Amino acid sequence: MRFSKPIFIAFLALPIVALGLLRYKPWSALGQADKDVIHEGPNARAHRDLTIGFLPVTCHLTCPVTDYASKTTVSNTNFNSRLFTDFPTVTDALKSKQIMATFMIVPLAMKLREQGVPVKICYLGHRDGSEIIVAKNSKIRSFADLKGTKMAIPSNFSNQHIVMTKLMMDYGLKPGDITFVVLPPPDMPTSLASGAIDSYFVGEPFCAKAEMDGYGRVLYYARDIWPNFISCALVVHEDLIKSDPDVVRDLVRGIAQSGKWAETHRAEAAKLAAPYFRQNLKVLNYVLTTNPPRVEYVNLAPNKHDLQQIQDIGIKMGILGKRIPMDSIVDDRFVPDHIADETLDLSKLSGTAPH
Amino acid sequence: MKKVIPGLLVFIVALFIWWLACRTGVFPAYALPSPGQVLLSFKEEFKAGRLVNDVVASLWRVFVGYYVAALLAIPLGLWLGRQPRVRNALLPMLNFFRFLSPLAWIPFAILWFHIGDKPAFFLIFMSTFFPLVLTVMAAVATIPSIYFRVAHDYKYTGWELLTKVTFPAVLPQLITGLRVTYGIAWVVIVAAEMVGCQDGLGYGIWEARNGLRLDSAVCYMIVIGLIGMGIDRILYQFTKLSNVRWGYER
Repeated sequence: MRFSKPIFIAFLALPIVALGLLRYKPWSALGQADKDVIHEGPNARAHRDLTIGFLPVTCHLTCPVTDYASKTTVSNTNFNSRLFTDFPTVTDALKSKQIMATFMIVPLAMKLREQGVPVKICYLGHRDGSEIIVAKNSKIRSFADLKGTKMAIPSNFSNQHIVMTKLMMDYGLKPGDITFVVLPPPDMPTSLASGAIDSYFVGEPFCAKAEMDGYGRVLYYARDIWPNFISCALVVHEDLIKSDPDVVRDLVRGIAQSGKWAETHRAEAAKLAAPYFRQNLKVLNYVLTTNPPRVEYVNLAPNKHDLQQIQDIGIKMGILGKRIPMDSIVDDRFVPDHIADETLDLSKLSGTAPH
Repeated sequence: MKKVIPGLLVFIVALFIWWLACRTGVFPAYALPSPGQVLLSFKEEFKAGRLVNDVVASLWRVFVGYYVAALLAIPLGLWLGRQPRVRNALLPMLNFFRFLSPLAWIPFAILWFHIGDKPAFFLIFMSTFFPLVLTVMAAVATIPSIYFRVAHDYKYTGWELLTKVTFPAVLPQLITGLRVTYGIAWVVIVAAEMVGCQDGLGYGIWEARNGLRLDSAVCYMIVIGLIGMGIDRILYQFTKLSNVRWGYER
């Protein structure tokens, strides 16, 4: 068999043309201009957009939030959500201003600020929502029993790490008495089951998973060891705060109101969030509806005292470098004085389906 | 057909061992999803349209990154192969970059090219360009000098020399090089999509993990393996073309 030149060139060009067409679908009217947005807010008439980053790791109910905020917007904004799978990518996206607002673990936001990235904590994502999980038959019954064991945490910059360090100080444990291993949250339940670690401390739904599969039990709920545990906060780029403060205010209002709704409509909230997380509804439902409540969506105004405590421990641990005044990290101007009651109609609560 | 049967048999046996391992409980369900579960998630992903979208996204990224790399690397390699001095000067640098894992470039890829297809193009380019230049360069450097002497007698120079002697002579090695680097590209795309992308096969695996859906992760793994294998078979067919045989019959 011989190939003539034109046939050869056609053979090379064909796949790239076909793939390009399939990828960008020029025949569909809307095209796929912004493929990165996983969930588009339902407000088609809005004259501006804001995309909020989130991770499916800490019960961020961001999709319902953006959906809700877009519907009730007072600044005529459409809020979209964008799913990220790890924090380093979120920070890179924030640094390069591809997203101007995101949910993020608090110490990481502080670290970014320290590095000169102009971001501010405007609101919190949720309270509690983390647990220390040990194997079902483990002999660990109290904090002191954790001495000499191996515990997995999601990141050195996580609040879980900070809380553990503070408790170790309180209990008179020396650094190194508990060995911390950084593991991706999805690998934690299986690592516990196989005996690779003795315990783990992470946000939901990775705690519920071990319980539901029958090999893990809760040693402590976050609130038992640090009342009003803060995990993630809404972090906004200062450029947006300066240029569009009303959009930020609108978003914070949306989070506050939909949080109030989620607090009392937990099963519906789980149903709403599951498809966006590609997660099992059963697990999410378990997280949101078991008693005592594992995660709370009220009391989300950033409290400078709480955040200062986190920063102080972070500095002692060496993960944060210097003390930065809370006023330059926190911007609580957007916190609503009064959070209105909300009724969300679930049947109407859907923007674009997740891809 | 006879060639296919043994391979297929091994495949079926492997599938059976997998099924048996799940059935007998060697691995608990959370550590290894069963073939049945994977089949169900195949159906689910396919129905949701995600699988097709992810396949197209990954193929598109690999093709664009790889084409750009090949279009630049092949001419550069052909030229460098005939320029011993420049070759010696550039060789350490080319080798240095060849040994840098493309994954090390991920943070820069995101910072420079943001999120979406572009960082993936960049990573594919970085992973395939350098090995390809080196392959072509080495192939040109080993062409017997008699070829060029004969070409000189025929007064071949420039373009004619390149298209009638150099290029055909290196074609077999070039195709092998293309197959090897394509293999690298396909491995890298999966890793590259785990960060900085919002769709694609690698992203699918990562998301399945985050969603605690190992069955869906396995379904993506199977698709990745099958496509990788399929495209390699197509590239292999090139070695059978008579245009290429020229190089073998030295």
